[in-house]
Amino acid sequence: MSAAGAERPQVVSHVQQALSYTVFDCKWVPRSARLLCLGSAARGTGLVQLYELHGGRLELLREIEKPKPIKCGTFGATSLQQRYLATGDFAGNLNIWNLEAPEIPVYSVKGHKEIINSIDGVGGLGIGEGAPEIVTGSRDGTVKVWDPRQNDTPVANMEPVQGESKRDCWTVAFGNAYNQEERVVCAGYDNGDIKLFDLKTMSLRWETNIKNGVCSVEFDRKDINMNKLVATSLEGKFHVFDMRTQHPTKGFASVSEKAQKSTIWQVRHLPQNRDVFMTSGGSGSLHLWKYEYPAQRSKRDAEGSEMGVPGSVSLLQNVTLSTQPISSLDWSPDKKGLCVCGAFDQTLRVLIVTKLNKI
Amino acid sequence: MPVWLRQHSWRQTLTAVYFSLPLRGARATPANIFCSEQYLKVSIPPFLFEAVLYAPIDDTNSTAKIGNGNIFFTLYKKEPAMWDSLTIENAGKEKLQYLRENAVLKAQEKAKEETEAKKITKQEHKKYALEAIMKVEEAERKRIADLKEEERQKVTKELESWKNQQKDKYKSIQKKGELHQEVQPLKERKNAKQNKTRIPNEGTSKIRLKSMKGRGSCSIFSQNLKEEQLPGPRAAATIKVNFTPRVFPTALRESRVAEEEEWLHKQAEARRIINSDLSELEDLKEEEKNPDWLKDKGNKMFAMENYLGAINAYNLAMKLNNKLPLLYLNRAACHLKLRNLHKAIEDSSKALELLTPPVPDNENARVKAHVRRGTAFCQLELYAEGLQDYEAALKIDPKNKNIEKDAEEIRHLIQETMQSS
Repeated sequence: MSAAGAERPQVVSHVQQALSYTVFDCKWVPRSARLLCLGSAARGTGLVQLYELHGGRLELLREIEKPKPIKCGTFGATSLQQRYLATGDFAGNLNIWNLEAPEIPVYSVKGHKEIINSIDGVGGLGIGEGAPEIVTGSRDGTVKVWDPRQNDTPVANMEPVQGESKRDCWTVAFGNAYNQEERVVCAGYDNGDIKLFDLKTMSLRWETNIKNGVCSVEFDRKDINMNKLVATSLEGKFHVFDMRTQHPTKGFASVSEKAQKSTIWQVRHLPQNRDVFMTSGGSGSLHLWKYEYPAQRSKRDAEGSEMGVPGSVSLLQNVTLSTQPISSLDWSPDKKGLCVCGAFDQTLRVLIVTKLNKI
Repeated sequence: MPVWLRQHSWRQTLTAVYFSLPLRGARATPANIFCSEQYLKVSIPPFLFEAVLYAPIDDTNSTAKIGNGNIFFTLYKKEPAMWDSLTIENAGKEKLQYLRENAVLKAQEKAKEETEAKKITKQEHKKYALEAIMKVEEAERKRIADLKEEERQKVTKELESWKNQQKDKYKSIQKKGELHQEVQPLKERKNAKQNKTRIPNEGTSKIRLKSMKGRGSCSIFSQNLKEEQLPGPRAAATIKVNFTPRVFPTALRESRVAEEEEWLHKQAEARRIINSDLSELEDLKEEEKNPDWLKDKGNKMFAMENYLGAINAYNLAMKLNNKLPLLYLNRAACHLKLRNLHKAIEDSSKALELLTPPVPDNENARVKAHVRRGTAFCQLELYAEGLQDYEAALKIDPKNKNIEKDAEEIRHLIQETMQSS
């Protein structure tokens, strides 16, 4: 059942803010109407800007400059009281900052030899159970999991076998954190590999290759038994994997969709509805999708082993906001439909997606 | 000579002249009537009537009615006056001529003016239509923009109210935190075993309830409890990872895969040639590693009828560079001489393959290849194929007498074999 024209969600541009630096990541500060922009200034230093949404404009509350450009950040591993920001920068340093006192990081480690492309956190904000952990994926081909209570060494390190040439890791995501022991890290690489690491057994649980470099992976919810994983790639394709049923040889079932000709930079699920997600593209467009489950989520194959059945994906709305790629996207966890996106045309846009209740 | 129509009857009033012209059986159409201010002509070949009118008339309003075997003219005078006669009498031939030409010119000008006027009105109509369309579209656009703006306003208001709600909630949490701080020590002991985590906003309502009941973990300090119950840091471990092999350092894109395969293929071939060189050719002199030099050597040996030596030279040259068509061509000739007919056919075929862009430059080579292959076929008594090759050669070079002669011979041979079998 597709929504009628008048009832489709609309993407309304609420505020546009022109920035004087390249923004790589933007995040809402949980439990507030404030947002954070992370990026790189022209002179090669890193910038963190804190904005507050006031009426129809964004008001700059604070600006913090750091020696190295910052690529990515997350609030995923901090408590709601502290709201510390974990960032990865171009030199491979992982830092956790207290935004009230940002001169000295609360935690700092030179985690990687090259730029940290992607970061994710779990265990904080009251989401998920278990220890708070941060995972970073870097261009040096390694994926490392850190615990803020343990200095200097990662608690898990996924590195290439000795002698093997490395591939850039472009994206990482946590999932399956539904109790204190279980946790899974999914990593996407530039040669199209997607690997799923199980942290409880410290082993590789599943891997596949989607034939195009993987730009972004995300589980629909981090804190439940892993349900769906969306992986987006170059050449305008994305795949939705059904993670509930793993077949011994075929792995997870998936459905793939080609949305547009350009790279799909980011995918973000709506925190309030795990079947709705938004993809942002290299042509400056945003697509809002809805996943529909199949009648039966698993079936038995010829040998009798369980095999997943992929559902279908339908496009709810799409809009072109910019001519440059929209590299970062974040939904507000507090207000349904409020999201911020940062594009390479140095603008930050706050958008409101309406009528999400009617989906 | 036209037949003049002279019988006409006319009468006049002060402002108009009425006269009728009998047509004697001819059929008239409006095209036959030509009228200007002072000149009237009716020409229905072979009949002709013309009149230079006594005074100018208003030719736009005047009418002519065609019917019943005559034309009835109603001419409105420009100046109301009684005419002595319908036409000007005693008009000299020149005057007549002059008037005629004038009349024609005037008529042409009028026609031109009319078309101009028509054009202008047409343009104006078009413009008007365009403006109307534009207005309609503009209205539509405005309507949509208004809808969007409305939506935006609505949502902005919601956002503001939500924000204020957040602020209030936050303030109320802080207050509760202070309250609970006083009551905390007692409660902490009670709640030590309870593993409840509270999140300020989500749990505000619950907190209020519980505080009324006299128990309940506090929002701020529950965090400490939670920390004590958090598992310790994981035991450090490493997972070794294997990647799908990829030669190129760039990211994998489906659209580029074909290109990349081709590139790799070419690299592999080049490497193969270089490698095969190194093993066998260490004991050769510098010049002997040059395929062209070797080809020349081969040619010389062919001239001296040392066919085996020539073949060897060509083989060596081919090891170094297997893409030179001339090598195959010459080797085919050697094989022909040695009557290795199958090898001759193979080599000339390979030569033709390499000579694929059929351009005038490689005409000679292609003719030779076809001829050699044709000869080999004929000597194997496969005359039909041989003829095909000869005809191909003829197509490329129609002027070559030898080829023609040979082709004829083959045709005869074919016919003979067909007749005899």
